[in-house]
Amino acid sequence: MSRGASLHEGQLLARSLKVSKSTHLLVASVAAAVAANAAAAILMTGTVGQIALLALIFVTLAAGTTAISSDIYVRSSQTIANLRSIGASSRSLSSAVFFSVIGYGIAGSALGAGLGAALGVTLGGQGGVVSLSIAVLGVILASSAAAAAGVYAGGRRTWSS
Amino acid sequence: MEQLGLLQRNEGLGQGRFAVEVKHVSKSYGETEIYTDLHFQLLKGTFVALVGPIGSGKTTMLNMFAGLDKPSSGTVIVMGQDITKMSDDALGEFRAATIGFVPQVQTLIPELTVRENVELPLHFAKVDREDLQRKTDYVLEKVGIRGESKRVVSTLSVGEKQMVSFARAMVNDPPILLLDEPTEALDPLMAEVILGLLRGDNLTQGKTVFVTTHDRRVTELARRTLRVKKRIP
Repeated sequence: MSRGASLHEGQLLARSLKVSKSTHLLVASVAAAVAANAAAAILMTGTVGQIALLALIFVTLAAGTTAISSDIYVRSSQTIANLRSIGASSRSLSSAVFFSVIGYGIAGSALGAGLGAALGVTLGGQGGVVSLSIAVLGVILASSAAAAAGVYAGGRRTWSS
Repeated sequence: MEQLGLLQRNEGLGQGRFAVEVKHVSKSYGETEIYTDLHFQLLKGTFVALVGPIGSGKTTMLNMFAGLDKPSSGTVIVMGQDITKMSDDALGEFRAATIGFVPQVQTLIPELTVRENVELPLHFAKVDREDLQRKTDYVLEKVGIRGESKRVVSTLSVGEKQMVSFARAMVNDPPILLLDEPTEALDPLMAEVILGLLRGDNLTQGKTVFVTTHDRRVTELARRTLRVKKRIP
C-alpha cells in the first residue's frame, strides 16, 4: 500500500471514530502542561530529582493518554462494530487512532518543554547548555514515549475487554 | 424449498466446491436455542434465499457466515477457511478480501461522504491508491450513485443509504455477497436496479449470493431457497 493511501486511510478512520480537533487539542494541551511544569522544575533540582520528575511525567502522561484513547474507542464502539463488518481489524483501527493523536502529543510536549525551560531559567534555574538540553530533550522524550505508550495501551485495553 | 431448524440437511462434504460449509453448528444465546446441529453446504456461484418468520435466526446465520457471530459449537468454513478458528485481525482481513456484507441496519459512517464510505473496504483490503480510485468509480457508476459521491451520508434518504451499502459491499469484487433483507428499504425502481445487479454478478461473475428476505422478487431470483421454520420463543 502506498504511503499516500495509508495516510488517507488513517484520516478517514480517525474521522469515522470521531477523533476531532478537540481531541487533538486535548492531547496537545495535556502534554504541554505537564512538559512545561516538568521542564521548569528540572532546572531547579539535582540528578535524583530530575530522574524522579522524568518518571513522573511518563506515568502521568501515559495515564492521561490511555484514558483519552480508551474514551475514543468507547464512544465509537458502534462505529467500530460497523467497520469490523466490512473488514477493519483491531490493528488498522488502533493504528489510525495512534497516528492521528501521537503527532499532537509530541508537538505539545515540545512546546511545553521549550516554554518550561525558558520559565525555569527566568526563575533562576540552571541555565547551562547541558542543563537546558537535559530539561528540553529529556522532557520531550519522556512525554512523547508516555503519549505513545498511553495511546497504545488504551487501544489494547479496549480490544482485549 | 428446504427447511432448516426442523429438517437438517446432510449433503456430502467436499473441498473447493463450496462457498460455505456449515458443519454441525449449534447456536444459542443463554438458554435460547437458535440452531441445533445444523449441517449443510452452499455451492460456489449459487444464489440462495433464506426465508422465515421474523426472529427465527436468519440474521444470526448471516452473521455467522460473515464471522461477526460465532457458533456455540460446530464449524463454519467460508471459501475453504475455517472462520470459527480465526483471530479477530485475521477475520477482518478475510472479510475485507472475501465478503461483501449488506446488513439490515445501516452501518454507514454518517460523517463521511458517499465516496469515502464506499472506498473504506478497499483500505482494509490494502488495495493501492490507483486501484482504489478505479474500483470506487466503477462501483459508484454501476450502482448509479456516482452523482451523489460527494454528498455526506447523513444527508441521504434511507433508500439512498441502502444503495451506498450495496456499492460498499460490491466495491472490492468479493466472491461472496451476504445481504440481510436488501430490498426492504428500497422503492420499486431501486429494488429493480439492485436485483438486476445481484442477478448479473451471480450469473456472469459466478458470485455466491446469500440473502435473507421476505421479498417474493428475491426468492424468484434465487436458485435455492432455504426456510427457517421455527420462530424462536
